[in-house]
Amino acid sequence: MEERERWGSRAGFVMASIGAAIGLGNVWRFPYICYANGGGAFLIPYFVALLTAGIPLMILEFALGRKTQTGAPSAFFQVTKGSEWIGWLSLFAVMLIFLYYPTIMAWSVNYAVYSATLKWGADTQHFFHNQFLQLSGGPEILGGIRWPVLAGLAVVWIAIYLCLFKGVKAVGKVVMWTVTIPWVILIIMVVRGLTLPGALDGLKFYLTPDFSVLLKPNVWLAAYGQVFFTLSLAMGTLIVYSSYLPKKSDISNNAYITSLANCGTSFFAGFAVFSTLGYLAQSMGVGVPEVTQSGFGLAFVTYPMVIQLLPFWAPFFGVLFFIMLLTLGIDSAFSQVEPFVAGFIDKWYFSKKWVLPSVCTFGFLVGVLFTTRGGFYWLDIVDYFTCTFGLCLVGFLECVTIGYIYKARKIREYVNEVSEFRIGKWWDVMIMIVTPAILGISFVWELVKLIQHGYGGYPRWISFIGVGIIALIIVLSFVLMKIKGKEE
Amino acid sequence: MPVSAIVMLIFGCVVLYGGLIFCLRRAIKSSRRSERR
Repeated sequence: MEERERWGSRAGFVMASIGAAIGLGNVWRFPYICYANGGGAFLIPYFVALLTAGIPLMILEFALGRKTQTGAPSAFFQVTKGSEWIGWLSLFAVMLIFLYYPTIMAWSVNYAVYSATLKWGADTQHFFHNQFLQLSGGPEILGGIRWPVLAGLAVVWIAIYLCLFKGVKAVGKVVMWTVTIPWVILIIMVVRGLTLPGALDGLKFYLTPDFSVLLKPNVWLAAYGQVFFTLSLAMGTLIVYSSYLPKKSDISNNAYITSLANCGTSFFAGFAVFSTLGYLAQSMGVGVPEVTQSGFGLAFVTYPMVIQLLPFWAPFFGVLFFIMLLTLGIDSAFSQVEPFVAGFIDKWYFSKKWVLPSVCTFGFLVGVLFTTRGGFYWLDIVDYFTCTFGLCLVGFLECVTIGYIYKARKIREYVNEVSEFRIGKWWDVMIMIVTPAILGISFVWELVKLIQHGYGGYPRWISFIGVGIIALIIVLSFVLMKIKGKEE
Repeated sequence: MPVSAIVMLIFGCVVLYGGLIFCLRRAIKSSRRSERR
């Protein structure tokens, strides 16, 4: 067995964890969720969720990886033999994500090129759906491959491979750039945004609090959901990253720094987004809510529209915006591949030389599905089922296994031995009661919604396929657990 | 911009960036201490 790799420095580990956590969602999801759930008042449930679920779960994952010095499946195996499948389940969930996530980055690669000539023209929605993606009538019609997207996907997978093949020391160096560059670009975008007419109107919608929403349970669920998904929890990434830490490394302070840096980025991104939306609304003579979108709509429809309307240097800001998306996405993308690769290496001692290129090739080949004319729908479907049900389930199982079977107290004592900040008994309560309760409620809430209404207006059979995929990865997790590893 | 929005802006900045600076300072101090040792 090869000797376990180590981070070159603590900064390398922290930056890699921040890079894994900060992704496209920080720019295109948080500002919208904040606006749609009470504006500035949303910060209250958001911070509560961060302190009661986000940070405790991050401490748990860092501690688990650091203590066991292995990836997720072997870490759970060491906790209790029968729970190894939870580790595999987290890796299969993250696999589903790394199958579609690079496709979004492939769109960004294309849009970065298009920005030079502002190819999307005045009707950005029509360009994105009809000219760029050439959307088919629905998920049942794949309609052939979109070659520019496929070319972008190949570029992204080559970049992921190059970032990972030299090991975690090299990752520590890569993330120094991929975390810093988006921040520098965000600062430029915020300064540009704030100097545009109408910017303050946009910020007013982003920050003005509506405290009455604090009584609505769905706002609290939205806050917990946002915190849970933004920190890359339950994906096995943080477990494997902390397993590369040397023995006497801090745990709790690293978790605080990572969480605060991630949430600080989301908050800051809101200024770039809403200042430009304010400008767009004023230019079009409409209200800010009419131009406010999240997700793909914000990045590939609304933002190009803003870029088109900029009074000067429009192509420059266009290229800058899409480079920011790419640098935001690349460290999240390779942080999704790394735990999957490490899972196989840790259990069967395979060589990374073979596992990494195999996983990258597999990711690229399956990713071709999402580059088809119907791929957009499948991307949306896989994203919904993986994040809403897969990750939620893994997070719940993690808390129950560590909290009740292994005992939260043991992990807390271990963390306090090596950390700069001591954690109190409150942490046990969060891991044993609060976090699993919230994740459980969220899971059931979404399941009931799915049963009642289906998802996203798609036909009913789509819900069966989505649930089938989650059931399949649970079965596969048990199968892999049953196959004996080298040490067993 | 309304005063309530400015208050929430300050609240967000203090919690997120203030907390981050505090934790970073603690980490730097601790690494200096271990270097001296």
